Amino acid sequence: MNTPTSPAIRVEGFAKRYGKRLAADGLSLTVQQGEIYGLVGADGSGKSSLMKAVAGVLAFDAGTVEVFGTRVDSARSAERVKQRIGFLPQGLGLNLYPDLSIEENVDFFGRLRGVAAAELAERKRQLLEMTRLDAFRGRPMRQLSGGMKQKLGLVCTLIHEPDLVILDEPTTGVDPVSRRDFWAILGKLLEEKGITALVSTAYLDEADRFHRVSLFHEGKVMGEGTPAELVAQVPGTVALFRAEPQAEALLRLKAAFPQTEAMGPWLRVFAEGLDAAGARETVGNALTGILPTDWFAREPELEDVFVAMLRQRGAQLESAFSAGSHMPAGATDLAIEARGLTRIFGDFRAADAVSFTVPQGEIFGLLGANGAGKTTVIKMLTGILKPSSGEGRVAGADMRSAGRAIKERIGYMSQAFSLYHDLSVVENIRLYAGIYGLDERQARLRSDWVIGMAGLAGFENDAAGRLPMGLRQRLALGCALVHEPRVLFLDEPTSGVDPIGRRMFWDILFHLSRREGVAILVTTHYMSEAEHCDHLALMYAGRVVADASPEAMKAGIAAESGQLVELRVDHPVPAQAALRAAGFASATLHGRSVHLLSRDAATDLRRLPGLLAEAGITVHSADLRPLSMEDVFVHRITALEAADRRAS
Amino acid sequence: MNGIFSGAGLRRLRVMTHKELLQLFRDVALMVFFLYAFTGDIYIAASGVSMQLKNAAIATLDGDHSLASRELASRFQPPYFQAAGSAGTPRQAIRHLDDAEVMAVLDIPPRFGERLSRGEQVAVQLQVDTSNSVLGFLASSYGAQIVGRYGLEVAALREGLSSGGIAGPVIQADTRIWYNPNQNDAWFMGISEMLTVITLFAILLPAAAMVREKERGTIEQLMVTPLSAFQILFPKVIAMTLVILAGTAIALFGVLGPCFNLPMRGNLVLFFLITALYVFTTAGLGLLAATVARNLAQVGMLTVVILMPMLLLSGAWTPIEAMPEWMRILAWASPLHYFLDAAYGILLKGVGMALLWQPVLAMGLLGVVVFGAGMGRFGRQFG
Repeated sequence: MNTPTSPAIRVEGFAKRYGKRLAADGLSLTVQQGEIYGLVGADGSGKSSLMKAVAGVLAFDAGTVEVFGTRVDSARSAERVKQRIGFLPQGLGLNLYPDLSIEENVDFFGRLRGVAAAELAERKRQLLEMTRLDAFRGRPMRQLSGGMKQKLGLVCTLIHEPDLVILDEPTTGVDPVSRRDFWAILGKLLEEKGITALVSTAYLDEADRFHRVSLFHEGKVMGEGTPAELVAQVPGTVALFRAEPQAEALLRLKAAFPQTEAMGPWLRVFAEGLDAAGARETVGNALTGILPTDWFAREPELEDVFVAMLRQRGAQLESAFSAGSHMPAGATDLAIEARGLTRIFGDFRAADAVSFTVPQGEIFGLLGANGAGKTTVIKMLTGILKPSSGEGRVAGADMRSAGRAIKERIGYMSQAFSLYHDLSVVENIRLYAGIYGLDERQARLRSDWVIGMAGLAGFENDAAGRLPMGLRQRLALGCALVHEPRVLFLDEPTSGVDPIGRRMFWDILFHLSRREGVAILVTTHYMSEAEHCDHLALMYAGRVVADASPEAMKAGIAAESGQLVELRVDHPVPAQAALRAAGFASATLHGRSVHLLSRDAATDLRRLPGLLAEAGITVHSADLRPLSMEDVFVHRITALEAADRRAS
Repeated sequence: MNGIFSGAGLRRLRVMTHKELLQLFRDVALMVFFLYAFTGDIYIAASGVSMQLKNAAIATLDGDHSLASRELASRFQPPYFQAAGSAGTPRQAIRHLDDAEVMAVLDIPPRFGERLSRGEQVAVQLQVDTSNSVLGFLASSYGAQIVGRYGLEVAALREGLSSGGIAGPVIQADTRIWYNPNQNDAWFMGISEMLTVITLFAILLPAAAMVREKERGTIEQLMVTPLSAFQILFPKVIAMTLVILAGTAIALFGVLGPCFNLPMRGNLVLFFLITALYVFTTAGLGLLAATVARNLAQVGMLTVVILMPMLLLSGAWTPIEAMPEWMRILAWASPLHYFLDAAYGILLKGVGMALLWQPVLAMGLLGVVVFGAGMGRFGRQFG
């Protein structure tokens, strides 16, 4: 028997090779019992390989993997620990049976694991109640939403009460409200049952859900520790301010601060190694004459630190984008005008009187959960779907009568980076050039432009399917831009791309919008992308329920419901319960912290540590945090859902 | 605005066709299967499969052991028959048949020779395994012919005449064999298999190309470009037609010509033109299937579901005239039925357009209807 202090997982020098590609290259980590341990990294960084090896379903090439003190190196040794492990593989509902109902799925996994009938019934009741799936017991799995599928997957993984659960990207493809719900349920279940969890995510902003984290990049661990420890590894200050002209300011700042980004009308600079005062001074100098306004200094986030770590290891942030052209004439015209767009399928209103406008040169974000109507709106705007009523103009063409004209003037890039994987980079570009009717000479010119813009030099003859995600994404963007469209549609464009790739991508989008006046409409349910937009529209049940800039949306929430307070505590689950009992319905778990919204932050920051001390909980720190777009989204949508429930 | 056949329209068709060809040539597994089907598979069908009676094993149950009985038994000779020993008892003979060691048993009764020489009526029995009804029928009729001819000779001798020299009016049946004078099965089987392979790929290739775009999500991307449904679908048909014509050329000039001396009497340009028309018609069916299927596995199943009745109703195995009325009506809707007429007609009979215009017209009409239906469904699905 192992003692409670022996680690749940110990991995040393783990390596895994797929053909020529090294997926994991000497990974080491230790997970203590009772921990929620996070593996954070982009697609293809080695997370899944490691998780499968720990679950005993993947043979590997080098290193040792121990689970509860048992070496997992053969099918037989893996059998010895498998009963103590629950594994949820990547992909929404992939381990479930689509034609079986919720109850039948749970029963199947229970019997498969040999859970006695009486015990199975009791655990099923408990788990379904906690995940609020009990009302839908008879519903076939394929009819569930993404969030519900993941909750059901979790229930099936926990039905045999394992000591260790391994969850591979459980929140990928799930909307923010369901994601928060999933984390809350997971945190509670693990705490109550004393289960250890190894969980992966491609999203850095989810890192604070974990007790400890390993940052993965290209098969290596870049850093390990609590989220706070990791952030402390690269000290510095994040400065957020406005400076006009923005594009010029960005260019000047990049010379001094490689980690400079445009976030809508704001500029965001990570000043490594500088405190707030130092950052202000150095940024002021770098701007040489342009005066920053609305200055905020903040602590860096994990992503800033991660990117800094990658830069220290030689990663290049420079995109080869030439910022040569200028705003063309007519750049201030409206690129997209939607007035009362409605689309009805049967008796379902997929889009209900949707109205908004996007001027040339603006990055516009269309947010909403799956099924909120984003896709329907995009389809109408790109001329694929005729609206049932309402009207609109895209790139100067009437969408009711000039579908073909619209298609010639817009660019479109989908989540799947719809490239032909078996064609080379150049063949893909040439194909789209031909489709958009470019002649030989234009096609050659634009092909060179795309290769330069996307940093694809040297990859021209590689098959698109073999490119790393970041390059593949920029190639897809290039193909969408080959005919120099005035309006660009991006449908969840950055899923699965590493932070460096994501930054380069947004850098290109910024240049396109500011220098060439291209209007860009982005749909996403990843809120870190929403922060980059100039303007946002939030969709719910086919309607636009909010239409404002990101900071106006945040200010709206702050005025309505208060500021965001973060409490770092020793026992987060009881702390959350105590805070909810004290009237903070917004209290949510984030790893070892609890977040809540406070109307009177100054008083609450002083008052809350005492209140929790009465419940036997120690508060290590209490701080004000800036609201994220995710906070805004969850808050708005939860309120709307609650209103819907009251109405029905 | 770009019309279909304006400069940009043509360029679109060209780049899309080029793309389809590139993708096809890079699919190594599919290309290997393709090349095998147009060479090895056709070779095997032409050389191995036969509907002729060849070297059928025959055992003799000789109850007589006379000169006459041995004479009769020895007349069952290759190429049709092959002597496979004798059976001692009737039971043994049946066992040989049951175990499929022999295909036929010639049962000669005792005193066969004696009764024959006395001019009495004698019966011999031929027991034939007719599990394969065609071969069984051939064995029994050839057997009857051999026995009949022997009987005639014996009778003539008894009348004092030399064999074949009966005085008096006799009807001489002179058979003249056209188009395939050696009655060489390889030609029929080879062509028939080639047409089957053409049909298979004409359905499979465009359907697979289409469903791959669905699976990868690239179809969504094409829908937001200025391409029309026709400009998305037709290049697939062009590309697949070109590839299948190349395969057909390999089969004709690489296998059927050199290995089996297929005559190819008619105008080959006409043959390839009609093949192109047929592939277009059938590719429409494939595209229609792709609008139903969600993935490659479903395409595979649908291909079989479409291919089997097309083959059966085409007349490749049974002449249309021998089918029940309702099947005959269905057969008019099978493009393979027309193609079969045209292919055999050109390759073996050397007929030209003057005789083939009807099947060609019917095929063309079918093609337009099916391709139109495919485009319609595609438009509704993605429009």
